[in-house]
Amino acid sequence: MSSPPTDPALQASEISDVLAELAKACDDQVRRAEDGDEVGGLPARLVAAPGSTREAADVLRVAADHRLRVVARGHGTKLHWGATPSGVELIVDTTRLSGVVEHAAGDLVAVVGAGTALATLQEVVGGAGQELAFDDPLGSTVGGAIATSPSGPRRLLRGTLRDLLIGVTFVRSDGVVAKAGGKVVKNVAGYDFGKLLTGSYGTLGLITEAIFRLHPRPVRSHHVTRTISDAADIGPALRAVLASQTVPSAVDVDWPAEGPRQVSVLLEGTEDGVEQRADAVARLLDTDVGDGAAPPWWGHYPFGPDDVAIKLTCPLTEVGTTMRRAHARAAEHGLSLASRASAAGVVHAATPGDGPPEAVASLVHELRAGIAAYDGSVLVLAAPQPLREGLDLWGPVPGLALMRRLKHELDPVHRLSPGRFVGGI
Amino acid sequence: MSTAHSSAHGDQPVMTGVVDGVATFDPSGAFDEHRPPDAALVGDCVHCGFCLPTCPTYVLWGEEMDSPRGRIYLMKGALEGEPMTDSMAGHFDACLGCMACVTACPSGVQYDKLIEATRGQVERNHRRPLRQRLLREAIFATFPHPRRLRLLRGPLRAYQASGLQRVVRRSGVLRRLPTVIATMESLAPPLGPSSSARPLPERVSARGTRRATVGLLTGCVQGAFFPGVNAATARVLAMEGCDVVIPRDQGCCGALSVHNGREAEAKKFARAVIETFESAGVERVVVNAAGCGSSMKEYGELFADEPEMAQRAAALAALVRDVSEVLVELGPVAQRHPLPVTVAYHDACHLAHAQGVRAQPRELLNAIPGLELREIAESEICCGSAGVYNLLAPHAAEPLGDRKAANVLATGADVLVTANPGCLMQVATAFRRRGAAGSAIAMAHTVEVLDASLRAVPAETFQKRSLLQK
Amino acid sequence: MATTAQRRPRDLDRLAARLRTVLGEGAVITDRNRLRTYECDGLAHYKVTPAIVVLPHTTAEVAAVVRACVDERVPYVARGSGTGLSGGALPSAEGVLVVTSQMRDILETDAPGERAVVQPGVINLHVSKAAAPEGYYYAPDPSSQQICSIGGNLAENSGGAHCLKYGFTTNHVTGVELVAPDGEIVRLGGKAPDPPGYDLLGAFVGSEGTLGIATEVTVRLLRAPEAVRTLLAAFPSTDEAGGAVSAIIAAGVLPAAVEMMDALAIEAAEAAVHCDYPQGAGAVLIVELDGPAPEVEAQFGEVQRHCRDNKAFEIRIAADDIERALFWKGRKSAFAAVGRISPDYIVQDGVIPRTALPAVLRRIAALSDGEQGQGTEGPSGVRVANVFHAGDGNLHPLVLFDESVPGEAEKAEAISGAILDLCIEYGGSITGEHGVGADKAKYMPRMFTDDDLDTMQMLRCAFDPLGLANPGKIFPTPRLCGEVPGRHKGVHPLAASGVAEVF
Ligand SMILES: Cc1cc2nc3c(=O)[nH]c(=O)nc-3n(C[C@H](O)[C@H](O)[C@H](O)COP(=O)(O)OP(=O)(O)OC[C@H]3O[C@@H](n4cnc5c(N)ncnc54)[C@H](O)[C@@H]3O)c2cc1C
Ligand code: SF4
Ligand code: SF4
Repeated sequence: MSSPPTDPALQASEISDVLAELAKACDDQVRRAEDGDEVGGLPARLVAAPGSTREAADVLRVAADHRLRVVARGHGTKLHWGATPSGVELIVDTTRLSGVVEHAAGDLVAVVGAGTALATLQEVVGGAGQELAFDDPLGSTVGGAIATSPSGPRRLLRGTLRDLLIGVTFVRSDGVVAKAGGKVVKNVAGYDFGKLLTGSYGTLGLITEAIFRLHPRPVRSHHVTRTISDAADIGPALRAVLASQTVPSAVDVDWPAEGPRQVSVLLEGTEDGVEQRADAVARLLDTDVGDGAAPPWWGHYPFGPDDVAIKLTCPLTEVGTTMRRAHARAAEHGLSLASRASAAGVVHAATPGDGPPEAVASLVHELRAGIAAYDGSVLVLAAPQPLREGLDLWGPVPGLALMRRLKHELDPVHRLSPGRFVGGI
Repeated sequence: MSTAHSSAHGDQPVMTGVVDGVATFDPSGAFDEHRPPDAALVGDCVHCGFCLPTCPTYVLWGEEMDSPRGRIYLMKGALEGEPMTDSMAGHFDACLGCMACVTACPSGVQYDKLIEATRGQVERNHRRPLRQRLLREAIFATFPHPRRLRLLRGPLRAYQASGLQRVVRRSGVLRRLPTVIATMESLAPPLGPSSSARPLPERVSARGTRRATVGLLTGCVQGAFFPGVNAATARVLAMEGCDVVIPRDQGCCGALSVHNGREAEAKKFARAVIETFESAGVERVVVNAAGCGSSMKEYGELFADEPEMAQRAAALAALVRDVSEVLVELGPVAQRHPLPVTVAYHDACHLAHAQGVRAQPRELLNAIPGLELREIAESEICCGSAGVYNLLAPHAAEPLGDRKAANVLATGADVLVTANPGCLMQVATAFRRRGAAGSAIAMAHTVEVLDASLRAVPAETFQKRSLLQK
Repeated sequence: MATTAQRRPRDLDRLAARLRTVLGEGAVITDRNRLRTYECDGLAHYKVTPAIVVLPHTTAEVAAVVRACVDERVPYVARGSGTGLSGGALPSAEGVLVVTSQMRDILETDAPGERAVVQPGVINLHVSKAAAPEGYYYAPDPSSQQICSIGGNLAENSGGAHCLKYGFTTNHVTGVELVAPDGEIVRLGGKAPDPPGYDLLGAFVGSEGTLGIATEVTVRLLRAPEAVRTLLAAFPSTDEAGGAVSAIIAAGVLPAAVEMMDALAIEAAEAAVHCDYPQGAGAVLIVELDGPAPEVEAQFGEVQRHCRDNKAFEIRIAADDIERALFWKGRKSAFAAVGRISPDYIVQDGVIPRTALPAVLRRIAALSDGEQGQGTEGPSGVRVANVFHAGDGNLHPLVLFDESVPGEAEKAEAISGAILDLCIEYGGSITGEHGVGADKAKYMPRMFTDDDLDTMQMLRCAFDPLGLANPGKIFPTPRLCGEVPGRHKGVHPLAASGVAEVF
């Protein structure tokens, strides 16, 4: 399939008209782009900040009229994730779409604007002893987190954002507002668009509001951590904990570029319950229960903004193998590698962004070849500009033809985050 | 939905009976006016499908029309005027009558009544292919007649003496019958031919204090091929304090005929049995063959259109008990001696589903010191015996038997225990198909195991009945 | 959806012949009596006799069937065990019904990897049975689990009593192989989490057979809990029972299940399965906690306290598995059991926020009794039995009537519809687990705007531009695929994307 027709970029002469229209659409919260208003190194022309779903719809309608390519931005923590868009004229800043609209504590549900910081949401619902059971590794907004679907340790028990999102409101590329799901956890009326939008990198629509299911915050949490000297012990350790009756909320492994490897198990629950379970886990791992504190690496990605960020997925039983392979291959290429894994079958890995591009490309290639032996995938979430060009960020994507057709239905001329996603979508 | 049939309810999710539409019965269809299946009973089915996974034919073929829900739907169609086609009759004939669906149904659909009425309709209104007809005639000329059956002991004699041989040659499908009889023969305890055929005394007196007077139905197949079971039943009852009355010249109870839609024949047999036991002066009629027990308990319904006889039939039916029921009712008095065997207990459909007797045999077995009872996976699914079904529909019965045999062997038990001669035969045949793997396990009736424990005889007596030794 | 006029003239006999060459004689049904046994699912009230029924065994056979249907422009409908309660598997009169009941092999159970790979016709409960020896089970447990298929569960995103704690089918499916409406075989996800690209799997689950036919499903297996404690608490009325539910949840306890039945539902269950619930109860709650033994012990006392504080007059604690099974038996057989106390009834499925439970129940009672108080059966009253997954606000009102009494059916229907309006009024949903199907399509516009529905149908168009996969379900009015959204004009998007050539 040839790449979809893209509209000509915004003409200089058009800019002031567009600015005026946008200003009308979103209460004057619009400006020309400045330094730093860029996506993956690509500078934008305009920034608009709608304050409501209606304003967002108006903004996207103006964008449609003027054939502007649009990228949404929350806190901008993951704007460098994904491929570089084929172009961007307008950044829609979502931070005015903020606030916890409703917290139905008795129903364990919260309705929240897409630009709200996840931290703010946690604070509000925390007041009622509740939480969104999601670890936010990077300080995201709600919309940014949904669009890129990062994940932290507690995905083991609670799943990822897709499993917590029960309703969503979004604006289509043509400015039409649509919603799916609702305010009740159990609901099978209509297609689950929330799932489609989760991890869609802003290519299907602009998320303006989300509804989450919440969980009661556990009374007690305890980490049992031990150092693993022989990497071959990682797999058996994870398996032992998973097969036990301790129901951990998270089991993560840290394998730094230098220093000791650690596995840490998070137990959450009642006072007595956690105490006994922590004892059981400590016995399984042949260590002591310790003070229960999280290790310093807990809940953080192993990569920083200048690293090549890699995400590997695999069956639960292959986490140890996947980590060992990754470190072995990296060593062969003389690359330093740090990785962190969830026992749920996800390994995040980092290698410095200034490594030799061919070495990084080969590493990614070999990791993919290795993972083909079992089920799984290797994604490059982010890579500094010079490296990115030579990398296949996504690898093979089953179902790509259907994905292209879906994109085509919702955004036929590819105006939303064009090119940022799989297969050039 | 524009395509949906129009109806009174518009577009609501109605859990209504399947027959929400049978306003009037249309006798121009498959069913005539003589006792058609009751449209109201058909209407009780809410189409939930809960009965499907316990239906042996659904388990085998996975097709709606060979499931209870599908068969009820076919009945509905027939009532509404669909003609009796080969396909329709075929799906009714394929029903084993195991009644697992009755147990499974949360809505209380009386499939037993429905299929019985339907079988009569098929018998009258459908002409089966010639081979099928000959086969049926041959079977019904043999099985419900204890004396003819007894003559068949020994496959060869069977073949020649009954005149079956000619029928077999003509129909070409009767090769199976001798096999079945050979299986029966091989399962019969190794007694001499004369002794095994020797009738039981007409009365066996209670040991110790008499607690009840009971009659014993000796049955056709049980009496002819498993006389040891009848003897054991009489002994156990006596040891537990019963005077056991065993009338001579008992005929068939009529079960086979009822289950195959041969109503007149069934009534003839039943009447004789009722008369025999009415005059025996017993408090209970004890039955040790599940199929017989289940139809005797329904004698009342069989005579529904003869009020006077119906009353007598119902009165007798009220006395009928499976031997395990009676023994649990009485409670143990005789001493149980240790019997160190592992047994797998197989629920005969006509005991578990038709009579709801599941707990009693297990209770009796569990009370034997040293005996370990194991459950068989998929216990609710029929072994394929189902009266003479294994003769009529071997293509279904065989795989069911194999499935049961595999599940039985998986328990690793020494002895397979069940309460129905048909099941023993059917599973034995399946074991035999498995060769050595299937020959390691012995078989016995519940009451034989109990007998061994009460008499402190070693388990080998019935364990000898392993196929290996034969 | 392509309009009928655009379709080539159909020759169903030719299609049947083609299908016979692919599937074999026995797997293609055209006999009228046989076809008729497939004319409805669990919602027996809607009936359409399909033109052809096929019983494929393999993915390749399903793909061949779909391709044949595409060639002939004949609609097709997937069917699992036919227990759906929204008419989702209602056939098309001039279409093919693709029944998966012979695709019933459990291909793999991988306990340490916490996955099972199964064919779509595998019965839900059989997955748990297969995993049980290794101490694992499949969590979603619809009341119909003894017969409903994994394919049907996937299509309906089925829930069950234990979904309060563990989530629904969508949270327990990690991979699917499907035959897309163009006949292509596509794999989405697998044993590993987070497959790259759009979460098409997430959208496919719950799509009611409109996006293709699942031919292999990878599901999660969970470690069987160390401890399970179940109690049955009897309350004077549903108000107190509802209060107990709120108190339990507010205390931060997340039970595995919280199920409620009102007096009439109890009566039906007693009649059917003799579950021997406490006499005189206006409502019973079944509360089940599971998990690590110390956690369960710590919270079980708390649950009992909340029940007592809310006037439970009897609390029974299951002593063993047999007793627990008996508690559940009453609940799980309740739908079908209502057949024992009423000749006809409507099973409704709606959702409300849990906290609205007492208010909504009072409104339902008012609906059913006219102005009368709760539980009485006025002369013109339509009786409503209530069974629900109280923990997540999923109501199953059972509206009883006797079709042979003139006017009753209409009244029951009116009340049933009014209950859905109540659900929407309180911010809930018109279906929590039974799906929209043929039955509730007309209610969709009450819950969603035209734009919402139009957007959803874009997904459908992406998968099925010809509109052949389970047409007429979910959406009240089909969208013409190829309609360009918004004001953009240009090349026909299907042609531009190359899709058009595929068909
Ligand atoms: C008594 C009773 C109790 C019930 N309790 C519950 C409950 O507690 N929770 C609950 O959620 N549901 C319940 N249900 C509803 C029903 O059992 C579920 O919806 C179930 O998932 C349907 O499965 P099935 O195999 O019978 O599917 P079917 O009824 O055959 O089909 C359902 C839908 O799935 C589609 N479909 C089937 N197979 C496939 C496939 N392979 N690929 C794509 N689409 C497919 C069909 O086209 C149809 O739209 C109950 C039903 C009954 C009768
Ligand atoms: S009696 Fe047995 S074979 Fe016949 S429909 Fe019922 S379950 Fe199936
Ligand atoms: S279980 Fe009963 S009501 Fe349900 S389909 Fe079977 S016979 Fe009908």
